[in-house]
Amino acid sequence: MNFEAIIVGVIVGFAVAWLARRWIAAARRRKEGGCAGDCGCSTKLNPKK
Amino acid sequence: MSTPEAGLLVALVGNPNTGKSTLFNALTGLRQRVGNYPGVTVARKSGTCDLGDGQKVELVDLPGLYSLAAASPDEQVVIDALSGNIAGDRRPDAVVLVVDSTNLLRNLFLASQVAELGRPVVIVLNQADVAKEQGLRIDIDLLSRRLGGVPVVLSSAWKGEGILDVRRAIASAVAKQTPMKRVVWPTNIAAALTDVATAAATDTGKQVSEADAQRLLFDTNPSTADRLGWTVTQRDKTLRSARDRVRNSGYNPMAAEPLVHYAHLRTVLEGVVTEGAGKAGRSAAVDRLLLHRFLGPVLFLGIMLGFFGSVFWLAKFPMAWIQSGVDWTKTVVAPPLDAYPMLQSLLADGIIGGVGAFLVFLPQILILFLFIGILEDSGYMARAAFIMDRLFSWCGLNGKSFVPLLSGFACAIPSLLSTRTIEDPKARLATAFVVPFMSCSARFPVYALMCAAFIGPLYGPGWESVVMVGMHCVGLLFAVPTAFVLTRLVLKVKPQPFVLELPRYQMPKPRDVLWRMWQNAAEFVSKAGTVIFAITIIVWALSYFPRDASVAERIKAANPAAAEEVVKAKVQAAYVEQSYMGRFGKAVQPIFDPLGFDWKITVGVLASFPAREVIVSTLGVTYSVGEGAKADSQHLRQAMQNAKWSEGPRAGTPIFSLAAVLALMVFFALCSQCGPTIATLAQETGGWKWAAGSFVYMTALAWIVATLVYQVVIRLS
Repeated sequence: MNFEAIIVGVIVGFAVAWLARRWIAAARRRKEGGCAGDCGCSTKLNPKK
Repeated sequence: MSTPEAGLLVALVGNPNTGKSTLFNALTGLRQRVGNYPGVTVARKSGTCDLGDGQKVELVDLPGLYSLAAASPDEQVVIDALSGNIAGDRRPDAVVLVVDSTNLLRNLFLASQVAELGRPVVIVLNQADVAKEQGLRIDIDLLSRRLGGVPVVLSSAWKGEGILDVRRAIASAVAKQTPMKRVVWPTNIAAALTDVATAAATDTGKQVSEADAQRLLFDTNPSTADRLGWTVTQRDKTLRSARDRVRNSGYNPMAAEPLVHYAHLRTVLEGVVTEGAGKAGRSAAVDRLLLHRFLGPVLFLGIMLGFFGSVFWLAKFPMAWIQSGVDWTKTVVAPPLDAYPMLQSLLADGIIGGVGAFLVFLPQILILFLFIGILEDSGYMARAAFIMDRLFSWCGLNGKSFVPLLSGFACAIPSLLSTRTIEDPKARLATAFVVPFMSCSARFPVYALMCAAFIGPLYGPGWESVVMVGMHCVGLLFAVPTAFVLTRLVLKVKPQPFVLELPRYQMPKPRDVLWRMWQNAAEFVSKAGTVIFAITIIVWALSYFPRDASVAERIKAANPAAAEEVVKAKVQAAYVEQSYMGRFGKAVQPIFDPLGFDWKITVGVLASFPAREVIVSTLGVTYSVGEGAKADSQHLRQAMQNAKWSEGPRAGTPIFSLAAVLALMVFFALCSQCGPTIATLAQETGGWKWAAGSFVYMTALAWIVATLVYQVVIRLS
């Protein structure tokens, strides 16, 4: 495999990994009752049980 | 940010649209979203406030409410915050009551109820400048004495006046712990309250405050009883007999609380406010015109047409500059990489082509939010609610649906959160379901691209704004019958009268409008540099690979006499068609064929399901890769104008015919293409059922309506 293909592979790999990580983090935040919009616009309030 | 040293917590409470968030921003230095209409704040926000003597407190901005009888989730947030029932928060050490200086009696009703909680209180008479303009003189010393010595200060948070006085007043309230003078209940009501408190304490084994007893006795809402764990069977008999006692004393139990409070407040306010000569009724005069039965809607339509026309006209030159910058970057980046065609294509066609195609719309987004800011802050947007009210009430939506639907034109996510202001859970659900139909700013680049590439050149610039207004109406056109079916047939929502306090007209504050523009521009650019950037790279890879050398050799062999540039273009086109993206697009394209979409548009549409605006960068990449990095750089618009069907019955005809362009815009106007919106809908409706229903319904509706549009227009033209 040549140098060019390695660089392109790394860039594409980073893009895929970054998007996947972002989506996983957003899903986790939603599960914990955080902002579902991924924009930090809401502080979800959970009254004491 | 430094944390409050003493760990003191101060809550900011008041009626809607009294300027709480503006005061919060002035006290904390933060930039919490403000707006000149009620219901902008729907959740708790906090910041650190310096009291001026070095002491710092945590200041909490709470949603506006008219009384402590909470009916909607956002109002419940305030009650929970004031009673210390929010996880991780304690009861506030002091409460700042923000009061509209021009309407003391009504605003002080909430203050009088809050006094029952027994916390130290500061009364901030905000919008003092407007009161002065109206000729109202308020004796704050007398008011303070009548309220039991609590600090009373005048301020105009909007102008930044009186902020230091507010800081000092908070410091004084925290130090002196002076509670506000409470209402004296008539004997029978006081006895009924004691009965309720005693029975609830005995049944639940918990301490029941006087404020809790009032909520239990006067409210039909069971939230306080639920919080205390006082069951229906336990409370039913006690409450019935206590309410009978109130009734026997000559009061309707449901109306006793406001009657007693207002009687108390009338005594308190006697001689406090004196009326002099002032400019009153300016708003009323303007409203007579803007809210006129017939002229109002015509003016509204005119304002909207002017609004979108200006967005196109003003953005024209900055957009051309950005496009030139993108082209220039491409010419600088591509040539040194001639020896590395793969890397060259990734940078020039993928990243610069894709992200550049998206960034070109920055000026339009900036101007869009400039106008939205001006319309909102001036107070006109709330008037638009009254103009639209006939439509809303016909379809059975609650009057309070206006604010969520209005803010849905900017972004569906905060507007879904603002459905919390709606008391009736069924009405809230119906509103949340139709909010994604509102044409959010993410749809804007799609409409703008189509209008600039086809509508403007074909029919003239005036039609761009007509089509733009039309596309913003398409969502509304389908939201109304959808809401009608939901509210009248499925959920059976009880009709509610539309009660919205009209804000007064004011000159928009440049700092707030510019800040909002900046925030949206920053978000747009940040999206271009993050999500769009990453998706662009992936789309590029999928439309670049695999690259079988035999494809080029076969084309060269089949075209021995053709010029080198022609062969090169054919090779690039063949590569894209046999790429993963091309194969996938061609496999799925038959689904979108009735809409007149070719495989490239199909790919763009599918790639846009996580976020609508991705179609612009996806088309940017697919058309760039199809051209080749070194081919004469065509703008996306030109490439789309030149695109023709290569095979089938439509071979040789333009792909982007008027029918296809309109179908594409209608598809984007109606389709559910936003991952975060679906997730927020699931969060706000408490499960995935309604979110999934919304996705399926909107996507199917988009396909059907876009097909109809394409088939009808293609036959007519």
